[in-house]
Amino acid sequence: MSDVLIEAKGLKKSFLSGTEPIPVLDGVDFRLSAGTSCSIRGESGSGKSTLLNVLSGLETADAGELHWSGRRVSGLSLSGLAARRAASIGFVFQAYYLAPELNALENVLLAARIHGRVDRATTDRGIHLLEKVGMGHRIKHSSTKLSGGERQRVAVARALINDPPVLLADEPTGNLDEKTGEAVLELLLEMTAGEGKSLVLVTHNPEFAARTDQQLILHLGKLSEN
Amino acid sequence: MPWYLYHALKQLFPSGRFFSFFSLVSITGVMLGVCVLIIVQSVMNGFGEGIRKRLVETDGDIRIRSNEVIYDWEEYYERLEAEPDILAVSTFAEGVIMLQHQNRPKFPMIRGVSPWDENQVVPLEKFITLGSLEDFDDEGVFLGEGLAYTLRAGPGSIVEVFTPLMLERLKEDEVLLPREFKVIGLFRTGSPAVDGNTMISTQRVMQELYGLEDGVHGMVLRLRPGVDAFQYARWLEAEVLRPGLEAVSWLESNRDFLFVVEQEKRIISFILIFIILVASFSIAIALMMAVIRKTREIGLLVAMGARPRQVAYSFCFQGFVIGTMGTLTGILMAMVCLHYRVPILAIYTKLTRSEVNFLGQYDVYEIPVHYLASDFIVVTCFAIGISTLAGLLPAFRAARLKPADALRSE
Repeated sequence: MSDVLIEAKGLKKSFLSGTEPIPVLDGVDFRLSAGTSCSIRGESGSGKSTLLNVLSGLETADAGELHWSGRRVSGLSLSGLAARRAASIGFVFQAYYLAPELNALENVLLAARIHGRVDRATTDRGIHLLEKVGMGHRIKHSSTKLSGGERQRVAVARALINDPPVLLADEPTGNLDEKTGEAVLELLLEMTAGEGKSLVLVTHNPEFAARTDQQLILHLGKLSEN
Repeated sequence: MPWYLYHALKQLFPSGRFFSFFSLVSITGVMLGVCVLIIVQSVMNGFGEGIRKRLVETDGDIRIRSNEVIYDWEEYYERLEAEPDILAVSTFAEGVIMLQHQNRPKFPMIRGVSPWDENQVVPLEKFITLGSLEDFDDEGVFLGEGLAYTLRAGPGSIVEVFTPLMLERLKEDEVLLPREFKVIGLFRTGSPAVDGNTMISTQRVMQELYGLEDGVHGMVLRLRPGVDAFQYARWLEAEVLRPGLEAVSWLESNRDFLFVVEQEKRIISFILIFIILVASFSIAIALMMAVIRKTREIGLLVAMGARPRQVAYSFCFQGFVIGTMGTLTGILMAMVCLHYRVPILAIYTKLTRSEVNFLGQYDVYEIPVHYLASDFIVVTCFAIGISTLAGLLPAFRAARLKPADALRSE
């Protein structure tokens, strides 16, 4: 297996505003090695989330190449990418996106269900992850009754349930107050390092960005080292 | 269980709650539609069945008729009596007469029967409400209750009978004297058409009145239960009866009436189907709202590796579950309502201070119910099918969502 988990070359992506194409990514090169973390900063609307979506296969690039663990995935359909993504990438979003109909543990296990794995061992791992993120005492609580910080902790556990080598975190502290945000980031770094995962962190916060191995800035569609 | 089925069930029955409001309202809609449909169909079946039973009792299973007077009936009587699928045979002669009592004339049918033979085919003894079959002789007649009421006649009354044969004799300058009979009893079959328009005499009397000698107008057969009357009539015509003798099953005799009863049920069911269609429309709207409300959640499902078609299955399955639960609870509710129909009707009439006027016709004194498996199967398939289809459009929309757009949506 390749040591490089995600590699992108010359990614281009533009959106139409009326009939006018607005370039968002303009030849982005990116490389994420196993067990490393990197941050991507940029102004609002600079295309950070779009880059994350393209890297994770949620969105297709107009041009360029994308490889996951050495395998070329650009050109695959969204449906084809979905099956590979479940095992390859975990997501943490700014707005948590927990299903309100499920409790904390069920939310975590939903990702495993989609991946086609729900057995006793997976359930135990879900409980273990919730305990590790400090939610062991609220595993049966409805997600609607959790605070923002608690929801994000559950989202972190959910991102890790399928044991993906890469975690993509899109402004995971954006909806949280400073103290809670600090705690969640700490948890994210700790969990990814502890589990030997790679992390791509999209953030506005330079202090948070500084705590990753590699700091990148997206500006005018180009990605550059800080 | 595939994740999309699990997801669908959790959408309808969230953890920590028995029902979501959406599922409760949707299931109730289907339940009410199915309940009303089953109740109406079962009651209509009940009325139809009651009427059919009454028709068979009154007419017998098969009538053998001819355009002419049947003089060789004895030969066929014996052959028919020997058939294993025929339980009883009776002969009859019938026609129109003028009947008069205290200057009140009527023109009813007269049916001349061999009382004890007839009683084996038609439950004559059961129909008699006043008088006794034991007293039936050539001097007496039984009147239908409706006819007796019109003539103001009752047991003991003397009625006068004029026949077409008498009119023929009048043409030959003979003195026209009516034949007098004593009313020895009344009968009620439950069929207003029969009870209001029929007099029963002995067959011998009818043969005299019509000048038939020992001829009859036909024979009535009672078949073994389970024998198809229509098919058996065809077999009799082909294998037993001579040309000129026609076997007519009760289904054929009352074809028009039975057709109207059946059509009435179909038309009412067709109208009530719209209740289920409205319910399915509300399911479609509710699911569509769920797709819009959960757009970002759908985006997340795809981000976690869900395929678009699996997302579609989830919403389609929600429609299926709503339809199934609504149908099952609707059937259960219908059965309960029908079981307690008598007290429910009593409460209804008390609250509305109304009387249920339709009762009493065809001797039906309470709301009749007859369950048909075919009704249940059709209603179940229809309700579940429509509910599942109602989930298709939202499912299609959910499947078409692009994950990145869905996650970005506000």
